[in-house]
Amino acid sequence: MAIIEVKNLRKEFKIAKRETGFVGALKSVMNRQFVTKEAVKDISFSIEKGEMVGYIGPNGAGKSTTIKMLTGILVPSSGSIQVNGIVPYENRKENAKNIGVVFGQRTQLWWDLPTIESFELLKEIYRVSYSRYQENMETFTEILGLGEFLNTPVRQLSLGQRMRADIAASLLHDPDILFLDEPTIGLDVVAKEKMREFIQEINTLRNVTVILTTHDMEDIEKLCNRMILIDHGQKVYDGDIAAVKSRYGKMRTLIVDVEENGRDLQVSNGELCKQEGNRKWIRFNRDEYSASDVISQITKTHNITDLTVEEPEIESIISRIYQEGFSKEEVPVKM
Amino acid sequence: MKKIIEYVRLYFRLVGAGVRAQMQYRFAFVMRIVGMVAAYTGTAVTMWVMLYQFEELGEWNFYELLFLFALAVLSWGFCIILFFHFRSLDTYIVNGTFDRFLVRPINPFFHFMAMKFDIGAAGQFIFSIFVFIWVSNALDIHWQLGKILFLFGAVIGGVLVQGGLLVFISAIAFWTTKSERFYWVVMYPARNLTNYPLAIYPKMVQWVTAFVIPFGFVNYFPAAVLLNKETPYFPSYIGYFTPLVGIVFFIVAYYVWMLGLSRYKSAGS
Amino acid sequence: MDSVKMYIAFTKKAFMRSAAYRFDVWTRLVSNIIFLLMWMSIWYALYMDKDEASGISLTAMLTYVAVSQFLTAVNGAGTPLWELQEKVRTGDIALELMRPFDVPLRYLFADFGSVAFYMLTALVPLYVFLFFFVDLTLPTSWVTWMLFLVSGFLGFLIRYCIELIFGLFTFWLIETGGIEDIFYFSVSLLSGSVIPLWFFPEWLQTFAEYLPFQGIYFIPNAIFIEEITGNELVVSLGIQLFWVAVSYAILRFVWRKASNKVVVQGG
Repeated sequence: MAIIEVKNLRKEFKIAKRETGFVGALKSVMNRQFVTKEAVKDISFSIEKGEMVGYIGPNGAGKSTTIKMLTGILVPSSGSIQVNGIVPYENRKENAKNIGVVFGQRTQLWWDLPTIESFELLKEIYRVSYSRYQENMETFTEILGLGEFLNTPVRQLSLGQRMRADIAASLLHDPDILFLDEPTIGLDVVAKEKMREFIQEINTLRNVTVILTTHDMEDIEKLCNRMILIDHGQKVYDGDIAAVKSRYGKMRTLIVDVEENGRDLQVSNGELCKQEGNRKWIRFNRDEYSASDVISQITKTHNITDLTVEEPEIESIISRIYQEGFSKEEVPVKM
Repeated sequence: MKKIIEYVRLYFRLVGAGVRAQMQYRFAFVMRIVGMVAAYTGTAVTMWVMLYQFEELGEWNFYELLFLFALAVLSWGFCIILFFHFRSLDTYIVNGTFDRFLVRPINPFFHFMAMKFDIGAAGQFIFSIFVFIWVSNALDIHWQLGKILFLFGAVIGGVLVQGGLLVFISAIAFWTTKSERFYWVVMYPARNLTNYPLAIYPKMVQWVTAFVIPFGFVNYFPAAVLLNKETPYFPSYIGYFTPLVGIVFFIVAYYVWMLGLSRYKSAGS
Repeated sequence: MDSVKMYIAFTKKAFMRSAAYRFDVWTRLVSNIIFLLMWMSIWYALYMDKDEASGISLTAMLTYVAVSQFLTAVNGAGTPLWELQEKVRTGDIALELMRPFDVPLRYLFADFGSVAFYMLTALVPLYVFLFFFVDLTLPTSWVTWMLFLVSGFLGFLIRYCIELIFGLFTFWLIETGGIEDIFYFSVSLLSGSVIPLWFFPEWLQTFAEYLPFQGIYFIPNAIFIEEITGNELVVSLGIQLFWVAVSYAILRFVWRKASNKVVVQGG
């Protein structure tokens, strides 16, 4: 039984049409006109316990709407959701006990009080037993280094410290599922690394299912083994990250530094897409040619002083998926 | 039963946090108390000047007027402490911070209510208690047990009526984005209106403040009972219904709020 | 006179803005109506069976109250003080100080615009309606109307300067709460906005006569109900002019101190 089961989920909003001008305003008071907007059109997926899924899409795609329905904040227009066997919007409180949520930009901690007090309050709200509370606090303090600022008021914490405290707070009650909305936004490189390490550990040690919504593709690449991509309220892709790369990521870029000898660079098995002085960028399809094929072609006319082969980033793959539109073939999810 | 005890315990924990948070800003806290006492004293002074030449307003003399006013201030004080932040619900929703309350395993109304406990409103008590003592002396009121219990009931009723109205106003935030202005445009003037005996207003107004937005029960009707004043158009014992009116009004307000919440959950914001 | 043109642009912009948010603006009318009802009821009840008190008839007094509420509504239609104080608190005020205009004047001219909108589209219609249906003593000669408008305008200026002076205390004290409340109450009582100075105890009346606040409401109101006429009227207008000058001078002084503080300390 999947821990999250979503079937034919649909959510539409009624938005009031706004009229301009005085007559229009009067008209709208008399007879309100509504436009229906379908934020989520027909989404189905299931997630197994312990998976780390990246839930991504452009702004306005319907990501946060879906997450809100999964966490019980929003009621779907139609379709079914089951989270750990519970229907979130029907059994909000039961569902709340099983989930942890981190909203990247908004903290759930009490702003003016020392950090530790937020944890104590959450312990009360979620009815965490004293012993479990102690255990968790010890673990989190150790891994995330909370000790240095537990007595500092939240409003005085740096962004990195606050995010660490927020994620620890979301796990205090041992939820089975963790929803992360932009957990690394605004963090510096080191802080991001630490955050990702922690999420990975929690997933490995406690088998917590993680749903990650982010625009940071490195988060996805480093943490998730599965990616669900939605656009315009519909699922565009659902599958392995590796499969995505192999299916869409056929292109490679060879960057060579050559000795200038006044001759043009001729590459028939690739495409010269950019040059800056001595440096040339050549794209080639690795299904058709290997890097060495391209290199040997170049060495016929030029001496190479330095070279690198670049793999495509998830980011460019994803934008290509958007451009290619709704894909009918889905790579099946590996169990 | 057990659940109620749990919720009470949790309420005190949450509220304690709110108070500690407020105490972090000590100067602001003191200034607020000073400000409140000053503002209310100001109104009292205005009343004194008003009655200097005219002696009575609608058959209420200065001390009686002051008593009426102090009773309103007393229950408003408790109301501020418990409910005033409800008027800013629209800000919480717009900032997205309200959703946080929906993701926790406790009743969202309870959670929102427990988030703030504005102890700075204590200035109101200083003012009211002082006035009560002064006026009781001047009017020779004897505070037997019956009167004290009645006053107690009146304050509870008054808190529930005013709190209920704040809850109603905050519920508007679930339908439109700007609800706070309804406080300033409706509740604030209404509170001022009821600082003076309702008898002086047109019948229509008296009727509305008795049965639609029951402000009359916050201070006028109970004061009329305590001071033995006549209440034209209404039976003189109407003040005894204050606690009941408060409870009913608040319960209705609560259900409207929860209705708004379910609308919020299906329509977003 | 390029600078005058610039400031008038602020007036126009504020007018447009009020028009864009007109429903917000008009909700304030509800509150004005409730207060109008409140004070008229209070005075009606105060007079009880009397026809006149201290030489003022009941209808004259009700007229006083109505006019006073009109001016109160006008004075309340500008930029709320807390907006400026927020800017000080967040430091945004520094942005305004970098501009090539004078900030207090800029807000004054903007207020002209928002007040004009509210007055023309909401207040004046309301009062035309009121004058039709309620028996009030309106001025008989158009000269009185003119003098009233001039006096009311001077009162507006006095109020603007004094309120801004108090508001600027945020530069020095972060929390002004208590001081503001004392200020608002003083203005409300001593300006004669709800009780004319004639009904004050003597000592208080004398005290109020030395203060600028009476120039905000009492003088224009009294002119309207023709209780101040002839020489007295001229003197009263003179008093108003005097206070406009003094409060403006103090405002300039306080403003200079305040903006220096921002420049030096960075808010």
